[in-house]
Amino acid sequence: MNGAYLLSQVANGLILGSMYALIAIGFSMIYGIVRLINFAHGDIFTIGAFATLASIAVIQAPFPVVLAIVLVVGAAVGLLIERAAFRPMRGAPQVTGFIASLAVSIIIENLAVLTVSAQPRTFAVPAYLNRLIPLGGLNVRMIDIAIVLLAIILMIALVLFVRFTKIGVAMRATAENYDVARLMGININRMIGIAFAIGSALAAVAGLMWGTKYGQISPLMGVLPGLKAFVAAVIGGVGSITGAVLGGYVLGMAEVLFVGLLPPEYSGYRNAFVFGALILVLLVMPNGILGRSTEQRA
Amino acid sequence: MQNTMKRLALAAVTSLSAAFALPALAQDINIAALYNVSSGGLTSLDVPSLQGAQLKAKMINDAGGLLGGRKIVVTAIDTKNDTGETATAAKRAVSMQGLVAGIGQSDTTFALAAAPLFQTAKIPFVTSGATSPDLPGMVGDEMFLVPFGDDVQAHAMAEYAYNTLGIKTVAVWTDNAMDYTTGLSKYFKERFTALGGKVLIEDVYTTTDQDFSAQVARLQSTEGVGALFASSGPDTAGIIIKQVREAGLKLPIFAGDGFDTDLIVTVPGKELSDNVYFTTHAYVGLDTGPANEFRTAYKKEYGKDPENAFAALGYDTMGLVADAITRAGSTDPVAVTKALAETQKYDAVTGTIAYPAGKRVPSKPVAIMHVEKGTVKLDTTVTPKG
Repeated sequence: MNGAYLLSQVANGLILGSMYALIAIGFSMIYGIVRLINFAHGDIFTIGAFATLASIAVIQAPFPVVLAIVLVVGAAVGLLIERAAFRPMRGAPQVTGFIASLAVSIIIENLAVLTVSAQPRTFAVPAYLNRLIPLGGLNVRMIDIAIVLLAIILMIALVLFVRFTKIGVAMRATAENYDVARLMGININRMIGIAFAIGSALAAVAGLMWGTKYGQISPLMGVLPGLKAFVAAVIGGVGSITGAVLGGYVLGMAEVLFVGLLPPEYSGYRNAFVFGALILVLLVMPNGILGRSTEQRA
Repeated sequence: MQNTMKRLALAAVTSLSAAFALPALAQDINIAALYNVSSGGLTSLDVPSLQGAQLKAKMINDAGGLLGGRKIVVTAIDTKNDTGETATAAKRAVSMQGLVAGIGQSDTTFALAAAPLFQTAKIPFVTSGATSPDLPGMVGDEMFLVPFGDDVQAHAMAEYAYNTLGIKTVAVWTDNAMDYTTGLSKYFKERFTALGGKVLIEDVYTTTDQDFSAQVARLQSTEGVGALFASSGPDTAGIIIKQVREAGLKLPIFAGDGFDTDLIVTVPGKELSDNVYFTTHAYVGLDTGPANEFRTAYKKEYGKDPENAFAALGYDTMGLVADAITRAGSTDPVAVTKALAETQKYDAVTGTIAYPAGKRVPSKPVAIMHVEKGTVKLDTTVTPKG
């Protein structure tokens, strides 16, 4: 084992972690504001990948435009799901929303299988994204750097938005206490819609990154990354945005190092390792790294 | 009127999503085809296979049918890339009235999910693309293979790598979630080391993995690896080529018939899909009568050349079953099984099928394909000895 090997594995972990973090943010934001684990979140990731395919293949949009389209599509789908599936059952017990999210997930997956067929597909990526960048002996592609940078930019923007803008403050107030927020004149439904839109847009961008990096997309591609991002959100502390980011990077890094540092015969157990880690975190730190203990809201 | 009814029934039964079995017309010959048509990477093998089988049935029917004018009716059942779904499909198939035989599946794991139900029902199951040579032993006397066994293709690849390409050291990657890939690796390593080659490093992953960065980094840091043997199904085939090549590794990549899918070119792109060798079922290089007849008919029916060797395998499977029915002179499954087991020389598109006494795996030629800058070409055809 040498330094270059370790460094390249750390880089791999960072790239994977960036994508997990982007998906995990949505889980955390939505949970933070409506106390709902949205299991359809991984499918929005899939929709993002297919929106990328469509905008490249059908209208041959340049990549920055593709990015904008994917953000908009993701946000729109998030809003639609919130409006159609979750708003009508606001105030129902938590488990109702949870079951509804599973239903939405299954509906999206089956619709996708029916409409675009389950054959894995590929899309052409602009050549400059595949250019090799020499980075101190590391073999890194433009796309890898783009993934990490874009993820960091989006996450910083989100944190600033939530911290300092009026809407951000209103969102945090809503997450804190519905009734008091409503008394302050905050439109609760609007805040919840914004949380869904932002979280879903980020998951869709993660889908774009995933499809661009790995080159193969299919209707069920979001299932495993979605579940893993959920694990990342739990590790970081559900409800906390910085926690979700941290959890995403911790999980991506741990997963790659698990495969990279242990003897090869253990590589096949990477998913078992991830979900084992979830159980361990729940046992040792039930609130995750940055989560606060969440008492039931009255 | 009766003719219209019959055509309607035929259309309904052959439609992919036939949700229930229609009561068969008395004189029809019922064959169930179990394939993954709607989900997963295996669809890129299973759909061509099913189309090949349906084409052959249509050709036989157009030529007057079997046993004095009886038509073949193929009931396609989607197994949805799920072994539970496959077992349910098999259950439904064997409960169909007057089922003569079942065909289907391009992967050992899925064949193993379906075949035992046919075995219990005493109806033959002929797989068009599952390649584990252990299948008949595991399932029983109703299980037949149309393709060669994995031992044959892995040995051919090992010999080609060592003798023809002069590769002495390899890395072996195995998808350890599939019976097919674990078997293929085992046979490859066995022959490659017997020839004097060395396996320097082994790595494993599972079918749903998409991130191979950790494995690639390990491969990159291992000194002296001459080539990579990637024992993988179609789900990960293209992704592996892409990620290995993107890391700047130029070494040859070897694989089995799980790579016989267009995903190996479309996923990495033409530029990166290079220096890849895989084994598959011979027919591409065969200029025989049946092979040419198949190519022409397929193009006419579906408007494109056969996607891969699995189209030919499906076609051969239907042909073999029809041949057995003719030789048995009956549609009684027991008689058909007996006739299948006695197959001595069926001239299939993918090579001659003969089952030696007590064996239900044919010995057939192996095609070694070479991918250069996105173009898949036949390199050579190897005929196993014995």
